Amino acid sequence: MSDKNIIEIRDLTKIYKNGVDVLAVDGVNLDIKEGEFLAIVGPSGSGKSTLLNMIGLLDTPTSGTIRLKDVDVTKATPDERARFRNKELGFVFQYHHLIPEFSAMENVMIPLLIAGKNKDVARARAQELLDKVNLNDKLNNRPNQLSGGQNQRVAVARALANSPSVVIGDELTGNLDTKTSNLIYELLRELNRKLDQTFILVTHDMHMAEKTDRILRLVDGKIVCELKRQGDGFIESKVCDLGEDNGKIRRV
Amino acid sequence: MFELEVAKRHITSNRRGTAFTVLTVAVAVGVIIMSLGLTEGTKNQIIENTVEKNPHIVLGPKQNEGYIHLYRNIERLLSSYPGAIAVSPRLVVQGAARHKDKVEGIELVGLESDKEERLMQVQGNLLAGNFSELKFKKKYAILGVKLAEKLDARPGNDVYIYFRNNSAKVSVSGLIEKGTAKDSSLVYISLKTAQNLVGEGDVVSEIGVRMEDYTEAPVLARDLEPTTKYNVESWQEFNREISRFIGTQNRINVIFYLLIFLIAGFVVANTTIMIVRRKTKEIGMLMAIGATRSSIMEIFILESLLLGLPAGLLGILVGIGFAQAIASYPIDMSSAASGVTMLMLDLRPEFIIYALIFALLLNISSAVYPAYLASRLDPVEAIGNE
Repeated sequence: MSDKNIIEIRDLTKIYKNGVDVLAVDGVNLDIKEGEFLAIVGPSGSGKSTLLNMIGLLDTPTSGTIRLKDVDVTKATPDERARFRNKELGFVFQYHHLIPEFSAMENVMIPLLIAGKNKDVARARAQELLDKVNLNDKLNNRPNQLSGGQNQRVAVARALANSPSVVIGDELTGNLDTKTSNLIYELLRELNRKLDQTFILVTHDMHMAEKTDRILRLVDGKIVCELKRQGDGFIESKVCDLGEDNGKIRRV
Repeated sequence: MFELEVAKRHITSNRRGTAFTVLTVAVAVGVIIMSLGLTEGTKNQIIENTVEKNPHIVLGPKQNEGYIHLYRNIERLLSSYPGAIAVSPRLVVQGAARHKDKVEGIELVGLESDKEERLMQVQGNLLAGNFSELKFKKKYAILGVKLAEKLDARPGNDVYIYFRNNSAKVSVSGLIEKGTAKDSSLVYISLKTAQNLVGEGDVVSEIGVRMEDYTEAPVLARDLEPTTKYNVESWQEFNREISRFIGTQNRINVIFYLLIFLIAGFVVANTTIMIVRRKTKEIGMLMAIGATRSSIMEIFILESLLLGLPAGLLGILVGIGFAQAIASYPIDMSSAASGVTMLMLDLRPEFIIYALIFALLLNISSAVYPAYLASRLDPVEAIGNE
């Protein structure tokens, strides 16, 4: 992990206007370093997915700024945002959302083809990535021929296709059993270490969150606690409301 | 070009949706091909049965003149036109005929049988006798078959024909059946005999012209009238009803095709919307991994476009098949057009091109709206992770 900030978030606010105003994210300030392995936790409806979607340029903030690699991406047009998502961001969701008609290999090739890479380059890169997620024997299997954990690994490989600055995961083990979840987290951890890949993961599973370097707790759209890894445990920030999760995290 | 790859996979994986779209477009194209072929065939048959039974152009006397005097010059002028394949001067007058105690009103046509044969192929309509004999036998006459019946006259009988105060005795040498009302009034005699009976000298009352291509006749007629000062009419003018009928039919057909386009378009659009609905999460994911809105739109338009060609080709086969099946059944159309007893099929090669263009346009235009809907999806809502 370097000292350089890859993401700088300032006063980020999102208000949903569906008849009544709902403050989903409330003035969040956050810096994320290159190569960081970060978890965002919180009860449902706390705004963690909204925050993640804004960081992932899938959603636009009501106010505030997000700087990705020193570029203010909040001002980008829809097409520019699509390009940023393709080149700088990788996504893994709760459900893998692989294209059912495409093989594992072809699914991983898509972000590369969108980026304008030719098929041979894309195929070689996809093979390399599927090898990294230990699926080199399933290259030509379609999603319905793979287990949930295998599909999620394909999704991870797809997220890494264009060597993005940040990979975003939203409850990415939500559909998997504990054993498979652990394997996926170990895989992400390994990729984080080997490739210095930045990960931002939203989860409500504290056990998973504990495997990261930093845990942010979000309640009502605000960061109410920050825990930083030190050795095997975590140091918490001065003010910290861990709510119902209090006591489950090993602290130094 | 990942859009094309995704579109191709959508088509091959969604067999039912693909089949539904292809069949809808094929049926629409088939109906249009069938309608085009049958309309064209029937139109041609009506034209043949009416237009081809008359000269394509008839040149009549100048205004305030009863007859054409120096008709040989005009005849030469008309013959010199490229596309004019037959020119026949005729002296047509209304008179009467008597056989024994029976008298009937007649349309007496004096003609030069060799020229008239080239113009109207009269011999083919003759039930008895030889048309070319009129050229040499001044006292021969060919009677409409119904007129002969009314006069109770048979070939070989002598018949008296009258014009104003003049009369002539002619011998029935043949009978003609044209299949029109003229069968009960027509009398063909040689031009010389008719001129003698009329008593106006070497004159005719009209000159008939046959063109290589009858559609050129109206143009030539419009060109001839001011230069010759004669009254010139093409089949369009003296068959005004028919050309109006054909024009109306063409307009009705256009409306009919538009309706087919709309109906099929809605069905295809609906199928595509269903596909977009089912693929919502996938579209959201494609957007998340960087597909632009225009790429998403391109995927669904390409998908529909790729189906256009096979659907069009299938439709052409379906249409030809149905049209041939319909055309092989005799349908009595004689009330609508004389002599039309079957629906005729005339599939011109350009209809195939029209049908393919129709299929492609149909597929593109019915995909635009669903594709637009897909491209405007909000990725967060589409993925629906929460």
